[in-house]
Amino acid sequence: MRAGSYEIKLVKRISLTNLRALMLSVIAGVVALFAFGFVFVAAGIDPFMAYQKIFSFSFFNDFGLPLTINRFIFLLLCTYAFIIPFRAGLWNIGMPGQLYAGSLAAFGVLHVLDIGKSTTSHMSPLIIWGLMLAAAAVAAAATGAIAGFLKGKYDINEIVVTMMLNYMAYWLVSYMIKEGGPFMNPGGRGESFELPSSLHAPLIWGSPYTLLIALALGLMLFHMFAKTKLGYEIRAYGQNPAAASYAGISRFRIPLLVFILGGAIAGLAGYHYFGAVPGVYKIARNYGFFGDLAFYGIICGLISRGNPLASIPVAFLFGGLSVGGRYVQGELGMSFGLDYALLGVLMITLVAFQFFYQYQIVTTRIRKETSDVGILH
Amino acid sequence: MLLKQIKPGEIVLEARGITKRFPGVIANDQVNFEIKVGEIHAILGENGAGKSTLMKILFGQYQPDEGDVFVGGKQVKFKSPLDAIDLGIGMVHQHRKLVPAHTVIENIILGHPGAGRIIDLPRVSREIGELCERYGFSIDLKAKIWQLSEGEKQIVEILKSLYRGAEVLIMDEPTAGLTALETEKLLASVETMSRENLAIVPFITHKLPIVLRISDRVTILRQGKVVASFETEHATEKSLARELVGRDILIRTERTTVEKGKPILEVQELSAFNDRDLMALNGVSFTIHEGEILGVAGVSGNGQGELVEVLAGLRPSVKGKVILDGKDVTAMSSRKRWQLGMGYVPADRNHVGSIGEFSLVENTRMNYYFDSSFYTRGSLNQHKMRAFTQELINEYGVAAPNPEVKAKNLSGGNLQKLIMARVLSRNPRLVIAHLPTQGLDIGAIEFVRNKLHEAKENGAGVLLISEDLDEIFSLSDRIAPMYEGKFMDIVPIEQARRDAVGAMMAGITLEEEI
Repeated sequence: MRAGSYEIKLVKRISLTNLRALMLSVIAGVVALFAFGFVFVAAGIDPFMAYQKIFSFSFFNDFGLPLTINRFIFLLLCTYAFIIPFRAGLWNIGMPGQLYAGSLAAFGVLHVLDIGKSTTSHMSPLIIWGLMLAAAAVAAAATGAIAGFLKGKYDINEIVVTMMLNYMAYWLVSYMIKEGGPFMNPGGRGESFELPSSLHAPLIWGSPYTLLIALALGLMLFHMFAKTKLGYEIRAYGQNPAAASYAGISRFRIPLLVFILGGAIAGLAGYHYFGAVPGVYKIARNYGFFGDLAFYGIICGLISRGNPLASIPVAFLFGGLSVGGRYVQGELGMSFGLDYALLGVLMITLVAFQFFYQYQIVTTRIRKETSDVGILH
Repeated sequence: MLLKQIKPGEIVLEARGITKRFPGVIANDQVNFEIKVGEIHAILGENGAGKSTLMKILFGQYQPDEGDVFVGGKQVKFKSPLDAIDLGIGMVHQHRKLVPAHTVIENIILGHPGAGRIIDLPRVSREIGELCERYGFSIDLKAKIWQLSEGEKQIVEILKSLYRGAEVLIMDEPTAGLTALETEKLLASVETMSRENLAIVPFITHKLPIVLRISDRVTILRQGKVVASFETEHATEKSLARELVGRDILIRTERTTVEKGKPILEVQELSAFNDRDLMALNGVSFTIHEGEILGVAGVSGNGQGELVEVLAGLRPSVKGKVILDGKDVTAMSSRKRWQLGMGYVPADRNHVGSIGEFSLVENTRMNYYFDSSFYTRGSLNQHKMRAFTQELINEYGVAAPNPEVKAKNLSGGNLQKLIMARVLSRNPRLVIAHLPTQGLDIGAIEFVRNKLHEAKENGAGVLLISEDLDEIFSLSDRIAPMYEGKFMDIVPIEQARRDAVGAMMAGITLEEEI
């Protein structure tokens, strides 16, 4: 294409540095916010004021920030659940199902110990928290393992399997917590029984202790991918399964393993939101909302290019915007769904900008004497 | 349509001052090239010399950054290969682009504008039959592509172009993958075609005798530039080779015989299925000793791939036994075999032997990631891994700026050097080398062959699988011609005759001459 005396060409990139990728993401974010500004303008609202409200509530407000952090922990865990199979070239679309399974197992521990009905327990809360965490991880890992096993053994598409399992787990939760279900709330509000106050998760800097788990997992995963044998096997399999098997990496073990690990972490996300976030402490009636939110783990994982440390700020941003979007929706009297619309626009823009991971635009000045024979494409 | 306006001996296709740049390289630098009606004009060049870029420009797949293409004296700008086809330019690809489940006729008329919605099969087969007769092709038009040999598939590709009205035929490595017999037939047909005033442009890497035999003129590309262009009658194999690589070179490996040690690999009655569940490897037995190279000679697709994969632990065997260094490894995983002293250089160095997106360090790690000496408490000693890679790069002369570059940026020869370095540095007891020099340039071929020979001298047993009889004869101590999943024979080099081995590769046992 030509513009004046310049020629503009799309050229395929040879390499992309992390810094350049970061810059592209930031630009994409700015473009998305600019584009979404028109939604505010259409509603007769000053977009600068709206964004100012969103950001100040999400990140600098005493009420908003804890909400942001709770969502951030949830999203970050979901991102890891996506990233681990993603680095092996596999797509985990099953975080909702896995986190539902994890939540059910965590509350199942209480049910089995008969803690839900009576509000006192003879066991130390420390043991019970441990049991809940472990149960959530194991149940979700088992859910993930179904997809990993089928992929590794019979090469069945993991996207389809994880997607199907989401629906099964969704309705299983319904069965368990709605009227007549074993976990139903005595008040019959279509939600599960509540955690007794003695089991409310300990807070660290005002946030649930799961924050530490999530951050520590980020470091561990980063180390795993960069330095360990397993990390290498996962990455090699992800880049090229044929080359990986040539090198002696099992085509069965890796898919199974990444879905077990990813599933386990998604289970922790379920435990976190329904078992550790202050003010929730039950499988909420709108649990499907969190299943949907879990899908943003995919987006965060893609934007951070599978890097567990890079996903920390990304998940923080997405957590904040989902909180802030909901807040201004009420504050400015806008219509329902503003938060998801905002996340949606951000997501589409960021995904569209992935184009520039592959290509770059190059402009060259056409010299006068050759401009008449310039090649037209 | 084209030739109606141009007389024999006149220029039909011409490229003037073609320059094509890709990020970081100039693939074609001011290339001039012309072909006359009724001429065979070979283009010779090593990998990366810019042959395929030029070919794609002539066929409209790429547009040049500078320079022009002329057809019949008129300047043309091809937007896509369709424009080139419309002007009578045809391309015969090295990697055949045919539908295996369809018949020869169906493949020939696929995409043909004259075929219409309702295909008049009798008319089409009559016309194709006439083409076959004219140029001396014999092929069953109703056969399915998957039933054909590589040589026959090549003929289908040619017919496809001719039927679309091609009068300039661009052929990419026309004899790759063909048996000696098929090559002969193809070359005869090519000669007939050129007498019928078709212009033919074969692109050839390094089969110099073929160039000398069939072409009228030859143009040699080196690093994107035309370094020589002359009438073939003035050329010799030696002069072509000199222009090709820029120095005097002749591939020669001095084969020495070393003391044969104990058996390192014993294979008994080994059988395996291919990916389509057909018995592709059918009861093969052999033994390789220390200090010995067994050369399996055969045209690809006769079970060599399956044999190698079963030996490497990547494909289950149906029957038979594999004993490596005295241990029965038939049921063992690939990694166990690596640890027991197997070293495997796969045929597909880009997609199996290396990971393009990984750095050279991480590619070296492919054969070392399970080696605990590179880890401290489960954590990789990155410094050691990098230093080790640098050592291999230096020792094997891999041309790479540093060990952090991605493998996909290496040329074929350098990548193969890295793979050889990585595999041989493990001091394997058994080396499996599958088509180790395929697609390499002359310098790299010499290097790889010498390294295999060196491994043998150091006491390893080597299983060499190759299509190239020169390679088989220059390296092997014993030769096993392979045909349809079986070894036709195993012949000691002293008793092996080229024609007999060549015939056995095609399934024919020559009568013993007395």
